[in-house]
Amino acid sequence: MSPLTVLFWIAGGLFLFSTTGGCRRASRSGAQAEVLSVWAHAGRADERRILQRQVSRFNEEHPEFQAQLTFLPEGSYNGQVQAAAVAGELPAVLELDGPYVANYAWQGKLRALDPILGEKLHDDLLPSLIEQGTYRDSLYAIGTFDSGLGLYAHRKALEAVGARIPRSAAEAWSVREFEEILASLASHDADGMVLDLGLNNIGEWYSYGFSPVLQSAGGDLVARGDSMRAEGILDGPESIAALQHIQDWIVQGYVDPNLDDAAFTAGRVGLSWSGHWKFSSYCPKGDCGDVVLVPLPDFGRGSRTGQGSWCWSITRECKNPELAMAFLRFLLRTPEILAMTNSNHAVPGTKSAVAASADYGMNGPLHLFASQLSGGYAVPRPRTPAYPIISSAFQKALLDIRAGGSVKKALHRAARVIDRDLADNHGYPDPQAARRDGGEGKR
Amino acid sequence: MKRQPSLPSGNRVEARVAWLLVTPALLGLFLFVALPFVLAVLISLTNLRLGAPLPLEFVGLRQYLRILSDPAFLRALLNNSLFALMVVPVQTALALALALLVNRKLRGMVVFRTLFFMPVVFPLSLVSVVWILIFAPGAHGTMNAVLQWLSFGSWHARDFLRDPHFALPAIMLTSIWQGTGFQMVILLAGLQSIPQQLYDAAQIDGANAWRRFWNITLPQLRNPLTFVVIVTSILSFRVFDQVRVMTQGGPANASTTVIFEAVRSAFDRAEVAQGSAMTVVFFILVLTLTLLLRRVFKQEGEVS
Amino acid sequence: MVGQGGRHQRSVRGVLRRLTLWLALSIAALVWIAPLLFMLVGSLKPDARVLPEAGSRWAFIPRAASLDNYRDVFARVPFFVYLSNSAWINGLIVGLGLIVNSLAGYALARLRWRGRRVVLTLVLALLVVPFEAIAVPLFYQFSSIGMRDSFTVQVLPFVAFPLSIYLFYSFFLGLPRELEQSARVDGAGVLRTFWSIIVPNSKPAFASVAIISFLSFWGLYLWPLLMTTGPQVRPLPLAIATFQTLPPLQWGDILAFGVMMVLPVLIMFIAFQSWFVRGVASSGIKG
Repeated sequence: MSPLTVLFWIAGGLFLFSTTGGCRRASRSGAQAEVLSVWAHAGRADERRILQRQVSRFNEEHPEFQAQLTFLPEGSYNGQVQAAAVAGELPAVLELDGPYVANYAWQGKLRALDPILGEKLHDDLLPSLIEQGTYRDSLYAIGTFDSGLGLYAHRKALEAVGARIPRSAAEAWSVREFEEILASLASHDADGMVLDLGLNNIGEWYSYGFSPVLQSAGGDLVARGDSMRAEGILDGPESIAALQHIQDWIVQGYVDPNLDDAAFTAGRVGLSWSGHWKFSSYCPKGDCGDVVLVPLPDFGRGSRTGQGSWCWSITRECKNPELAMAFLRFLLRTPEILAMTNSNHAVPGTKSAVAASADYGMNGPLHLFASQLSGGYAVPRPRTPAYPIISSAFQKALLDIRAGGSVKKALHRAARVIDRDLADNHGYPDPQAARRDGGEGKR
Repeated sequence: MKRQPSLPSGNRVEARVAWLLVTPALLGLFLFVALPFVLAVLISLTNLRLGAPLPLEFVGLRQYLRILSDPAFLRALLNNSLFALMVVPVQTALALALALLVNRKLRGMVVFRTLFFMPVVFPLSLVSVVWILIFAPGAHGTMNAVLQWLSFGSWHARDFLRDPHFALPAIMLTSIWQGTGFQMVILLAGLQSIPQQLYDAAQIDGANAWRRFWNITLPQLRNPLTFVVIVTSILSFRVFDQVRVMTQGGPANASTTVIFEAVRSAFDRAEVAQGSAMTVVFFILVLTLTLLLRRVFKQEGEVS
Repeated sequence: MVGQGGRHQRSVRGVLRRLTLWLALSIAALVWIAPLLFMLVGSLKPDARVLPEAGSRWAFIPRAASLDNYRDVFARVPFFVYLSNSAWINGLIVGLGLIVNSLAGYALARLRWRGRRVVLTLVLALLVVPFEAIAVPLFYQFSSIGMRDSFTVQVLPFVAFPLSIYLFYSFFLGLPRELEQSARVDGAGVLRTFWSIIVPNSKPAFASVAIISFLSFWGLYLWPLLMTTGPQVRPLPLAIATFQTLPPLQWGDILAFGVMMVLPVLIMFIAFQSWFVRGVASSGIKG
């Protein structure tokens, strides 16, 4: 055999081998009716484990169908899902972070759930969850739980400085009161750092955890509604004032950078601005002891808090939407919801589940979260296809504000980025209208 | 290579074989490098966004105008230039110094050479994670503690990665640490091929160590040094992984780089066309820089 | 460098000189690999102690070491699946690359053909194109023919590598022409000459190109992120992303993962480093 032949055989063999993926290849999404592909974000260990167990239980009940769960790293979840969407390779069932639903619905990647949901389930779901998953009057995603955001505090520390402990969102501290508390706590504290703002996180936390502050002051991320714009709202005087407060806390040294994520549990800080996911580490085994939950401070127009979390959607590439809906219905059964929320302590997604939950009962430690959602104190993040840009611009502004830059300039820059994106996308017109008009739509 | 006399007839066969040998690589380069780059240039002239159900429009140079007036991108260009200006001389000098130290016929030099090379084996994303810990804020962060010790207590702890003055230097340090070993090995190989007679002759003539270095070592190292300088310069503009992991471009664009802005544009904001424009600007810049550097350091025996 | 003179005096000075050199190098080396030590020691600590002890001597000296973090890593991700994926993908890139690029480099360096100059210029120009510029168009190219989520899509774009071609070209330029002449006189074809004469005499070049292309691609993160989904075909750098989610960031686990990820490569490198240095020494880089 001439060396040429040998060479080509080797190369050809290696090439063939690589083409067949070395006998291993990721399964195709939704191609076979028997396999239901499900994508979820690789979040906290307990949530992952419970979801895996739920999938196994579903598969046991339906031996003729197999739900196949794949976890994607949370850090670039949206980027990966977007790439798969463009390539036309989405799974049948896709988990999405609430505010991103509008973008994928606008791109036409999601199926409307109204026809297959059923009235009973629709009525049982928390209104906030219905609101979260709705885009242009169609429901595209439903969550099995909603989120809660507030301030965890060490009761003894508060009592030591003589602070009152608000029992509900209506009784929230005013921001002036809050700053007095911070100052008093700091004077008793060794390193002067008494507040954990979760600054060791990156990503969506900034938008989720701090945009309610804008609304509480009378500002917002954007002017919501059909003529959406950021200018004058995100960089309006109310928003600037609100974030100026936060910058002051950081600059005055009240905020712990918390790189080890243990500032509150180790007792280094008396206050932790955080959400339901911290409950299990702050109150191990449900025993809160010294820890109490209070609402976020009132920046002028009343205490506001965040809402929205991960939710489930069915993609247009799903070949068997009935089966996919059966999977979602399974996850929305009260015992299944409670399996998840008893572990991650989020707000259960249906009224029946809330009623059955120990955490969220009238005297439950997390009752505040449920009451905030039902009492209208929780403001959803803007439900618009522009949300990814809004969030990314706001996050960048917050990072700059945190580093001590001018609040006004940072917000102004962010507003400009958002408005330019809205203009580039012609205001994100209704794709149905665009199709009706033969692709002309709004120009 | 000397100019060949007029080609004999066997050459047609040779040409055919040559094309045969070169085709697989050419095909790969064309399909997977040249073609996509041409596409990238074309995309940069449109308003393409990832996944948006909007009609594709040709917008001419609008993306370029936008990025050249975008403070983040301009800062990125500045940062990359600063990076190159600082890192290239420092890393090259350090690599040369280490190579000189290690280039002795003593026992155990292989061990030292290995140790200095080890960081090169680590992928940058992993290196960045370790250095996040080293740059941890507060007195208990490694770098803070070391600086405290070295300055006899007059250093107060800083949050390097979130400090506008220290974020970029922190990334520079990480890159230098990871990359020096490789340049060291190249320079070491160069050193080892310098004939000993040159040094012996110089010593007989009475030249001291410094003059030996300046008049023999450096000129003999011209080729490897040129290679090292050019490659480090090109790589200085490609900084991405460290920024992604350690600072995400912050604070206030203090540590953002061109490639980081391009990727952020294309994937976080779905503005693919804008990201492409940034990479085209990058290409033009780096190509110009490379050509300039080659002209300045014209290599010996190089066929232009 | 040893000079002439009184042997007894010189040897004492020589010993002192050697000792200082040794000391200087040892300190330099220790400082240099301190971050690696930090990584190793941190991987043996419980997560909660990694940060608080970062500034003390316990960052570099292990005490109460345990392998818990390593156990955690195996529990959280299918480590060996990722490892074998990385091994296959990089092995294929390097292996196929050696064949394809060396042939091209040889043709450019040693054969006479029209278009040689053009191709060489093209290769040099493409050297400058950053991967990030072509990532998105490549993404569209591969998605449109449905080739996501496989080994192929992670190997194919990287086989033809301008830097490898250039390195082979430089090296072959420097080989003495007599090598081929004897074979050609015997009537051997170009390919046979390449295979039986050039290749055996170019082992250092192959070694250094292999190492350089390996180091260039094995940390690739962006491309597999876009093009693949499940752990069945994803490489190691993506696995580390699953650790960098919401806090609590388990630093011990992350460091343990890092150690495991790098260990095979480190061992291989230490074993083959003399080849590598010889390869660099005789390749075209140094002139």
